[in-house]
Amino acid sequence: MRYFFPLLIAVGFSPVVSRADVQLPSGEKLKEVDFERHIMGLLSKSGCNNGSCHGSFQGKNGFRLSLFGLEPEKDHKALTREQLGRRINISDPDSSLLLQKAAGLTSHDGGARFSKDSWQYNVFREWIRTGGYWKKGSGEVKSIELHPKEYILIAAGESTRIKVTATYSDDSKEDITPFAEYRIQDDAVAQIDLAGKLTAKKPGDSGFVVLYRGQVASARILVPTPTEKNFVYPKIEQVNPIDKEVQDKLRMLNVIPSDKVGDAEFLRRVTIDTTGNLPTPDEVRKFLADPSPNKRERKIDELLKHPLHAAVWATKFSDITGNNTTALEQPAEWQTRKSQMWHEWLRKRFYENMPYDQIVKGILTATSREGLTPEAYIESVRKIDEAAAKNDYSEYAKRETLDLFWRRQQQVPSNEWGEKVAAAFLGVRLECAQCHKHPTDRWTQADYRSFANIFSAVTSTGFSNPEIQKLVNAENTARREKAMAANAKVNNNQINLVREMYLTPRVPPKNLFGHPETGVTLPLKALGGPELKGNDPREELFKWMVSPENPFFARSFVNRVWAHYFGVGLVDPVDDFSLANPPVNSRLLDLLAKEFIESRFDIRKLERQILMSRTYQTSYLPNETNRFDKNNFAKSYVRPMMAEFVVDVLNGATGSTQNFGKEIPEGARMVEVGASRIQDANLAFILRVFGRPPRTTACDCERASEPALPQTLFRMTDQSVLRRLTDPNGRLMKLLKEKKDDNEVFEELVLATLSRFPTEAEKENFKKHRAEAKDRTSAFVDTLWALINTREFILQH
Amino acid sequence: MFKSDCEGFHRRNFLQVGSAGLLGLTLPDLLRSEARAATKDKKVEAKAKGVILVWLAGGPATIDMWDNKPEAPEGIRGEFKSIDTSAKGVQYSECLPKMAQIADKVTTVRSLAHTIPSHGPATVFMTTGNKPTAAIQYPSYGSLCAKLLSVPKGIPPYVSFADLRSGAAGGAGYLGTAYNPFGVEGSGGGGGEKGGATMRVRGISLPQGFSLEDLEKRDKLLNAFDQGFRDLDKNGDLVEGLDAFHQQAIDILRSDKTKVAFDLSKEKDSLREAYGKNPFGQSALAARRLIEAGVRFVTISTGGWDTHSNNFTALKTRLLPNLDQTLSTLIKDLDDRGLLENHIVMCAGEFGRTPKINKNAGRDHWARSMACVIAGGGFKRGYGHGTTDASGMAPATDAVTPDDLGITIFKQLGIEPNTEINTPTGRPMLLFREGKVVDKMIA
Repeated sequence: MRYFFPLLIAVGFSPVVSRADVQLPSGEKLKEVDFERHIMGLLSKSGCNNGSCHGSFQGKNGFRLSLFGLEPEKDHKALTREQLGRRINISDPDSSLLLQKAAGLTSHDGGARFSKDSWQYNVFREWIRTGGYWKKGSGEVKSIELHPKEYILIAAGESTRIKVTATYSDDSKEDITPFAEYRIQDDAVAQIDLAGKLTAKKPGDSGFVVLYRGQVASARILVPTPTEKNFVYPKIEQVNPIDKEVQDKLRMLNVIPSDKVGDAEFLRRVTIDTTGNLPTPDEVRKFLADPSPNKRERKIDELLKHPLHAAVWATKFSDITGNNTTALEQPAEWQTRKSQMWHEWLRKRFYENMPYDQIVKGILTATSREGLTPEAYIESVRKIDEAAAKNDYSEYAKRETLDLFWRRQQQVPSNEWGEKVAAAFLGVRLECAQCHKHPTDRWTQADYRSFANIFSAVTSTGFSNPEIQKLVNAENTARREKAMAANAKVNNNQINLVREMYLTPRVPPKNLFGHPETGVTLPLKALGGPELKGNDPREELFKWMVSPENPFFARSFVNRVWAHYFGVGLVDPVDDFSLANPPVNSRLLDLLAKEFIESRFDIRKLERQILMSRTYQTSYLPNETNRFDKNNFAKSYVRPMMAEFVVDVLNGATGSTQNFGKEIPEGARMVEVGASRIQDANLAFILRVFGRPPRTTACDCERASEPALPQTLFRMTDQSVLRRLTDPNGRLMKLLKEKKDDNEVFEELVLATLSRFPTEAEKENFKKHRAEAKDRTSAFVDTLWALINTREFILQH
Repeated sequence: MFKSDCEGFHRRNFLQVGSAGLLGLTLPDLLRSEARAATKDKKVEAKAKGVILVWLAGGPATIDMWDNKPEAPEGIRGEFKSIDTSAKGVQYSECLPKMAQIADKVTTVRSLAHTIPSHGPATVFMTTGNKPTAAIQYPSYGSLCAKLLSVPKGIPPYVSFADLRSGAAGGAGYLGTAYNPFGVEGSGGGGGEKGGATMRVRGISLPQGFSLEDLEKRDKLLNAFDQGFRDLDKNGDLVEGLDAFHQQAIDILRSDKTKVAFDLSKEKDSLREAYGKNPFGQSALAARRLIEAGVRFVTISTGGWDTHSNNFTALKTRLLPNLDQTLSTLIKDLDDRGLLENHIVMCAGEFGRTPKINKNAGRDHWARSMACVIAGGGFKRGYGHGTTDASGMAPATDAVTPDDLGITIFKQLGIEPNTEINTPTGRPMLLFREGKVVDKMIA
């Protein structure tokens, strides 16, 4: 009977308990404590229902709350009924286990969440004292509103109060500022207390997110740089609308862009960004000597048409689309070849500047047969494979669709396709919603599953009809026999067999996801979009994606392009478009997306506009006002290069060539390699040290962009680098054989590594070193070593 | 104004953290020293300082090793008899006589099981304690040690003698490239007198023909050429961070503490002999010396365990004699030196092999039952954990999973199992999604 004891008291006594106001830190008084509105808010705000605390699916020390407080009914029951009702004690609120634990008065693994004399304690206490009631639906939130909106402009050292208003399902409104959670993305810029008092610490720009009972609101905190009295914002060149949007924002922050970048610096930056390679010494000389005023424009156009430029995007899209060699169909050699086909398919399209939507269509709606008759299909596979065996991957690239995207050695569950597609083409991360509603975004488990169902018909097991099966069997028997003639012990995993990726005409309902609670089979549905039907629902998904109203498709791609050229996205990380990750400059993002759609997804036009902008052509050297700028593009951000670029740039500087494996065409650069699995141990090592991703996960977040000490040590000590310096066919040894004096050789090395002429001081230092060195060769080996170990060399700037 | 305090702040910070050892740090770590402090209060009392993982690549037939089934029906029981060991109630196959002698020092886990009979993902599961998923790449145990445990200056936290699955396992996963293992290059020098002399940790030692003197000279020149970026030092975390890395790199190359660890000629020849004068044996000896120098996690590996055919011949003539010699010597040596008390040795592969023998006298992949041995660091001595059913198909009692083992090992290392780490995208991840501490294994 003790089980119900507290509840009986609650029912018996509550009407006569007089209410007392609770003083809130905002200065207001809370007249009535409501379970859903206030208690649930505080449980989240105090961290009680986190995944690592009582929100864990196993609970914690026998006490489980719903994760992030999304289920008030369960939580009310856990608080009032379980543990023999000891968690709350209405006749003696202070002895309630809930308060004892939360205030750290008895042992609590989670420590004290608030003190006994705090307002939170009083809110909980008052709720318990007045009966511990739960009014179902009283706090069902329709929306929350943050004031001020969009930008919170505040001077360093000053404070302001923000206000959060919730609108509930009965249309009542309440100021719930103390009950909401706050997150400041860059806490060096500002801090906020529990009551919503925001204090600016340092000039800068940070995302600010408010969470309240599953609802999210966001704004940006802008802390302008302090200025002299007579400060007048100077007029800065605006080449195109990008510059206007960037400068409009900078003006709010009193931040002035750095000077326009010099020619040498520009050439190096744009060449690395577009091709992953350095300009050669001759290219540098020629560009610097060119007096024509539009030489930058011409250079940009030339580079955007460069085959290596298409290779850069093929490499990036190999990351984005998950070109993971190890997961492709065996045998191992053909996994590598298939990776290369994948890369080549992408590269051809970027090279031809195919509209972005058409590229995505070729991936998203791919099938192996593309409507070919069985005979024609097998014939096409034969042709592709024969060419590929000779390292010619162009036959595959001619296919309309990239069926390899959907073809893996092991069948991929439909929900993983959902995650991959959402991350790759919408920039949305869904994986949280597999197990629970996304804590800071709108996606529910039902959304996740409905989206997954779109891909339930995708398969590469078996064949689409008996006729093709018969023909493929015959072809595969022939391939098997041929292989066995060469090696009697060969097994299926060692033979490149013909397979087919197709859509099962009828998906049994048991293969479709049901609703997480009711189990009722969920319809196929785009994310926050319509239900999809048709023989190939992926085609309808594609139509939904490319409609101009789609909030993700164009924005996610323009953001990726932006992030490639600036090192940081307008939404950053690039694949995290969510309510809780507001864009740093939403007007600029909107503008780019709108123009991209209007141009019918013309990638090169978008890139050209970015590269032509004054914003891209800004120096990395800071001025007094933009020293701390990290996300408003007032200067060019010094940043590490992609691992593939490091390999090519090192080879370029030292004049070395490298063999990337027997499946890769001779003379290829690293950015032209499709495979994620690299046989050569030295190459695999450098790629790993510099953070090339294995492409195993659904997002491109796995590429590590942070430098680490092993990278420094690698350049200083690794044999594979040191060997390049003295490579008989390398740049230095060749130079030493030519009739060049020391100064000329030195100049050539500086041009080859830093893409500029040496300064007078550098020449002096070299001379000194040369005089002390034991011989000419070692003096120059030392010099080349020193040059590739400078930060100027290894960083993009 | 505001900028003056910021400039000084960064510089000081780097120097402080720097003295705590920097090999396993990324720039954000450097800048967030308070974040490291925060992980400290998650620590429980550490019983173990480090781990040596002895990896049997390919999936060993543990049914012919630690959980031999001579009573099982024909077609399952295999060719080996069982022998008693120095641990009560624990029997090994007759091919492991030396391990049988020291079984009183180890926990023999017979009831380990999981459900992934495929090399790649099973290796990931066994070396991370988390089932692989498409959503995120989990860090290996060694990388977690690199992240969570401190090391002396100049000592790499995580050293690996082998790339597991060509680097597809054993890496840092979402922790990022800074926590990848430091690889060993050069040879363990089988029989040669100078064996071990050419072994070195790749990337933290100067190669032969590159003297410290050369380095100092080149570095002077480098500093002169790096002037252009020196003016940026006070502005960017990245630029300044690379400078801090540079200083550290020079310090590490000057001290080169691991060089001493690889000088196996310092050991008695009889001991080197006992470890086995082959690359695997000598790597085990070097692993012990690395652990002594303060390395937290060392992986050594021996392959050839994927015995789809001629399982018994391969085990009897090649695989088991080598393993028996090296593993028993390693454990005994650690114990003799008092190191076994606070260091863990774990010997396992990605899965076991089918109890049913196939037509090629081989055994195929089988994850639903497998055995492994764990010694030291507070794990019980002379203890056999769990049993499998009569034909070795599945655990019968006290079943454990790879995550259970991982969580137990990390508890011994003093890491609270509920520790959370943020991914680069800010998602908090528990070290282990599932699994619970196996109290029965702990002394």
